[in-house]
Amino acid sequence: MASEKTLVLLRQRLCDPSFVYSAFKSSPNGNYSKLKFLISNTITEACNNSVLLLGPRGCGKGAAAAAGTGGLELEGGGREAGPETEGWGAFPLFAVQMSPVPVCFPFVVDLVLEDLKSELPEIISVARLNGLLHSDDNCAVKEIARQLCLENKLLFSKMASFDDNSQFMIDMLRECGLAHKMIIFVLEEFDLFTQGKQRLLYSLLDAMQTLTSHSVVIGISCRMDADQLLEKRVRSRFSHKKLLFTPLTTDDMQRLLEHLLYLPTDSSLPSDYLKEFNSNINNILTDNKFKEILDLLSAADNSISNIQRFLYQAISSMHFQTELLTMDDLKSAFSYHQRQPMLDKLQDASILELYILVCMNRLESREQDSYTFNSVMKEYKAIQDSYKTSDNYSKSVCQRAFEHLIERELISFANNRLRNLSVEYRPVRLLLSSQELYQSLKSNASCPAILQRLLNYETYR
Amino acid sequence: MAKEEGILLSPGRKTRSSSFSLSSSLPQNHRTFFSHTHLELLHGHCHSEESISLDTLTSSLPGRKPQILEILRLIGPLNSPMLPLLLYGGPSTGKTISVLQTFRYLNRPFVYAGCRTSYCPRILFNSVLRQLLIHEKNAGKGSNGAKRCEKPSEFIDLLRISLIQVVNALRERNLKLFSEESDRGNMIYLIFDNVELLRSWDKSSTIVPLLLRLSEILKIPELGIIYISSSSPDAYYLSTGSIEPIPVYFPDYSLEDLRGIFMRNQSNPNLYFSFLSVVLKPFYRVTRRVDELSVAFHPLFEKYCDPLSDQCLVLDEAMKRRLFDNLQPHLASYLNDVFWVPSWASHQLKQEGDYRQKRLWKSIRKEASNELDFHMSMSVKYLLLSAFIAARNPATLDASLFDSSGGSNNPKRKRNLQTSLDKKDNMAEEILLKGPGSFPLERLLAIFQCITSVAELVEDDHFESDFAIENENFRLTSDVLLQLSALCNANFLCKSGSCPLEGSTRYRCTIDEEMAVKVARSINFPLSSYLYRR
Repeated sequence: MASEKTLVLLRQRLCDPSFVYSAFKSSPNGNYSKLKFLISNTITEACNNSVLLLGPRGCGKGAAAAAGTGGLELEGGGREAGPETEGWGAFPLFAVQMSPVPVCFPFVVDLVLEDLKSELPEIISVARLNGLLHSDDNCAVKEIARQLCLENKLLFSKMASFDDNSQFMIDMLRECGLAHKMIIFVLEEFDLFTQGKQRLLYSLLDAMQTLTSHSVVIGISCRMDADQLLEKRVRSRFSHKKLLFTPLTTDDMQRLLEHLLYLPTDSSLPSDYLKEFNSNINNILTDNKFKEILDLLSAADNSISNIQRFLYQAISSMHFQTELLTMDDLKSAFSYHQRQPMLDKLQDASILELYILVCMNRLESREQDSYTFNSVMKEYKAIQDSYKTSDNYSKSVCQRAFEHLIERELISFANNRLRNLSVEYRPVRLLLSSQELYQSLKSNASCPAILQRLLNYETYR
Repeated sequence: MAKEEGILLSPGRKTRSSSFSLSSSLPQNHRTFFSHTHLELLHGHCHSEESISLDTLTSSLPGRKPQILEILRLIGPLNSPMLPLLLYGGPSTGKTISVLQTFRYLNRPFVYAGCRTSYCPRILFNSVLRQLLIHEKNAGKGSNGAKRCEKPSEFIDLLRISLIQVVNALRERNLKLFSEESDRGNMIYLIFDNVELLRSWDKSSTIVPLLLRLSEILKIPELGIIYISSSSPDAYYLSTGSIEPIPVYFPDYSLEDLRGIFMRNQSNPNLYFSFLSVVLKPFYRVTRRVDELSVAFHPLFEKYCDPLSDQCLVLDEAMKRRLFDNLQPHLASYLNDVFWVPSWASHQLKQEGDYRQKRLWKSIRKEASNELDFHMSMSVKYLLLSAFIAARNPATLDASLFDSSGGSNNPKRKRNLQTSLDKKDNMAEEILLKGPGSFPLERLLAIFQCITSVAELVEDDHFESDFAIENENFRLTSDVLLQLSALCNANFLCKSGSCPLEGSTRYRCTIDEEMAVKVARSINFPLSSYLYRR
């Protein structure tokens, strides 16, 4: 019972990004503090500001904004800017800043916004857009109008045109500025907004040039060159402030693991179980084997989300057996992580399919730049004629095996033209290297020895 | 018998359903699944279906136990949030059925949307929303009808609203039913099947990241998402990076798993076991797919049982030996048409009588049956053959082949032919690569006229000559063009872009040589003498 409760608790933690990223809330040099300082500064100085959060996916960019709007009082810097102080009058934030700093990424936005909101509920309203959904200008402006109406309890008209909506947006910016309120625009997948005419970005950033409006535009993107994608007229209005999110350091990683895995001492769980669990976690975290696994893991990808997924898999194995998290769980989770889909697929291929792959590999190593099923078939027949194996099948059977390979995505058509030509005549190519093929033939117990020889003969002559 | 049923469906369906009926005793082919879930959804979840135990779950899907346990593990206990999962593995490895049966065991609410049946974003969105609405009603809350949506942004808005409503409704119901044991939790699961098809959709560059980041965009902890795909996770890597779902791999069935699958629901397990020990290994070298194997084994088993008078007989070693000897000579030829799919017509005949059925099987089994499976009129056959000839022969050789006076008598032409034969290796290679050529309408009609006039000469022995001429005139009217378009519609010919120089449409012939020979034989046409041999 206690272990099930623990399991649910740990899963809840791992699936809640704001909890995961709150591990870095307290670090003074973190992007979280920087973003929060930036926003609160903008609030106190009653100006406009804009900033780009850049970093690889899964670094926690989004979490910062939510917290930044909520946690001002926690920070020394944010304190004087807090709502309880008389910082009221001046809240416009349009800053364009260019300072690369190591912090963590989109979830930072969520944390910052949450924090700020809890402190300054009256002052801040947030409009969130996602480039995947609102990259179309029309749609984006409509969404902004809808969210602003919702926040300010106004009536939103679905029928309003683009002009109406953008006019409404500008009016809202002015009115909010006069009422000393601030609007924060969060644009996720910022790079997608730069496709097309960039009308939305232009009208947002242009509206911020006036003295009356108080707003912040926060762009979040995985493309490091996101600001280079802006048009000239947009770029000149952008503040060029950038917060860079870098991957975790070893210390950060340690802190994150402790934050995620230790059970809170004030929970309702039986205290002896709690003690046992926490000391077990302590053992694991100090174990050298675990450190090795962690090194290998972060060598491939040390984003937070990768660690999160790894822990999720390890913890989910507590479901059936164990009371405690064991080293074996972590090891098996690591082995799941190290899967190589291509080799798996090769292991699944039947003998005939392997023959066809080897034939194609021979054709490729002969530097035939383009070949079709018919030429593969010619090669196959030549092999069957000279070696007289038991795997001599008719053309139609081979063609079906060939189609299976296409379905498995081990091979593909070389181009999408000639779509109406039948399969035999369309040029194909291998999607795997001869190294991979060699490796999988070697590890495949049921593979006939002749196949390996055929491959070796061509490749490693 | 479930297998019979499967085979009576159209070929495309058949493979799927017969494999399903083999791999589980439950009526779970895709079609029945849909009506089944809809019924289930409509009748409310509480009293729709008795849930199954873990043992029945794993034993109903032989060879999938580790995968099912892994799914259970990752989905986790009641009311615990989950990260998105991606189940992947080749076709016919039991991905969909494993998930659906797992949910039957868990007895939790879910929404199933297949990207094959919901073939465009709009239909996919609406299908998800409609099913959510039904869940909401089941959970005891009425709501105004389903809203339709076109754009992804509208979909996300509506999805968020209805998910929150469903989750609230589930929570309320759980509070009400607190004492009863039918606690189904307040999680709702979205299952997207055949995700690999998304990549070929129109707006794939936006719809793939949208669906894969659904949980990130929605941020609803009560939502669990499961993707089912036949292509591996690396197929979904995007240039701007992506949050990968947690992968669960479904490998192809091993020899033992296949044996377990095929042994299910057999009336005479002993007999079938000895049959499998003969056939499974050689077929396994060719394909590992249950659907294809089950199609291949069905006629083979009939053959295997032929010498037996009583199928319930207990087998001894001598008998097994005899049966094996009986089957052995057929095995090789059967292996070579593993994938032979009986046509619809032969099924109908099969129902008509046992005797006829056997004859039909025999005739089809004969290596080259002379019969065409369908009816074509005489002139269409000629047209098809002339298209075939036009596609296979180089246009430069037309004159020598068809001009009875010129070509062959002309020594110069002959030398040309000789020199072109010298280059035949190159040519052969090129034709192997490029496939049959395309040809303009004029050339097709010219060849058509040539070969029909030759045919008329032959027919003159039987008919009055003026009748034949009338006949010919009849053929060469607009009817030919009509028949041409009929052939195009039937996909025997296809239009292949227009030639930039001439501007006229060019055609391509899609039939293979085997088929052409069949057609030629049915009208006694000497096809081989008209084909340029490399």
